[in-house]
Amino acid sequence: MTLLLATLAGAVGAVCRYLLSGLVQQQTRSDFPLGTLAVNLAGAFLLGLLAGADGLPSAATMAGAGFLGGFTTFSTWMIETIRLGIPPLRGRAVANLALTLLAGVALAAVGYSLTN
Amino acid sequence: MRLRQLTVDSEPWIAVLGGGLVGSAARVGIGYVLPTTPGAFPIATLMVNLIGSLFLGAYLARRERAATVRWSLQFWAIGVLGSFTTFSAFSLDVVHLLEANRPMSALGYVTASVIGGLLLALTGQRLGSSFG
Repeated sequence: MTLLLATLAGAVGAVCRYLLSGLVQQQTRSDFPLGTLAVNLAGAFLLGLLAGADGLPSAATMAGAGFLGGFTTFSTWMIETIRLGIPPLRGRAVANLALTLLAGVALAAVGYSLTN
Repeated sequence: MRLRQLTVDSEPWIAVLGGGLVGSAARVGIGYVLPTTPGAFPIATLMVNLIGSLFLGAYLARRERAATVRWSLQFWAIGVLGSFTTFSAFSLDVVHLLEANRPMSALGYVTASVIGGLLLALTGQRLGSSFG
C-alpha cells in the first residue's frame, strides 16, 4: 500500500517538476539549465528536512520521499551537462556539475540538520 | 471552445503524469527489492540513476533520427526516465554516508554516479544514433 502511495506521489512529483522547471527556464530565459537546477536543489533540501524529522507517520514519509523522487531527476542533469559541452569538458558543463552537486548535498545536509 | 483549449493544453502534463507513474513504479520497486539502510552503500539509487542516464541518452539520440508520436518526449524523457532517476535521494545518500563517517564511500558513490552517469549517457547517445 505504501509502495503504491510512493508511486502515485512520484507521478505527481514528475508533473510538478515539468511545470516548475519549465516556468523557471522560461522566466530566466537562460540557456543554462536553471529549471532542472531549481527543482533538484529544492527537492534535495526538502528530502533532507523529511529525513531528519522523527515521528512522522510512515505513510507520510513514503509519500513525501516518493514525491521528491519523481520531482527531482538525475538523468536530465547528466544529459543537460553533456549538452553544455562534453566532450571535451567545458567550463559551463563543469559549472553545472559542481554547482548542482555541491549545493544539492549542502542543502540536503542543512535540511536534515534543521529537523534532526 | 474553452473546454477544447483546456483539453489540448492538458495533454503534455498528462503524458508526464503517465510516464511518471511508470518511472516511479520502477524506482520504488527497485528500492523495495534492494533496500538501503541510511549510511550503507546506496546500490538501488546508483542503479536507477545509471540505467536512467543510459536510456535517456539513447532515447534522445534516437528521437533525432526517427519520427515519434506526439508527447513522446514528455512521456519518455520527462515522465518515465525523469522520475525513474532521482537527485534528492542521491544528495541525501551522500549526507548519510558522511554522517556514518564513511567519506571514502561517499566519494566513491559520487564518482560512480556522476562519472558513470555521464559515460553511460554518452554511451546511450552513441547507441541511439547508430541503432534503431
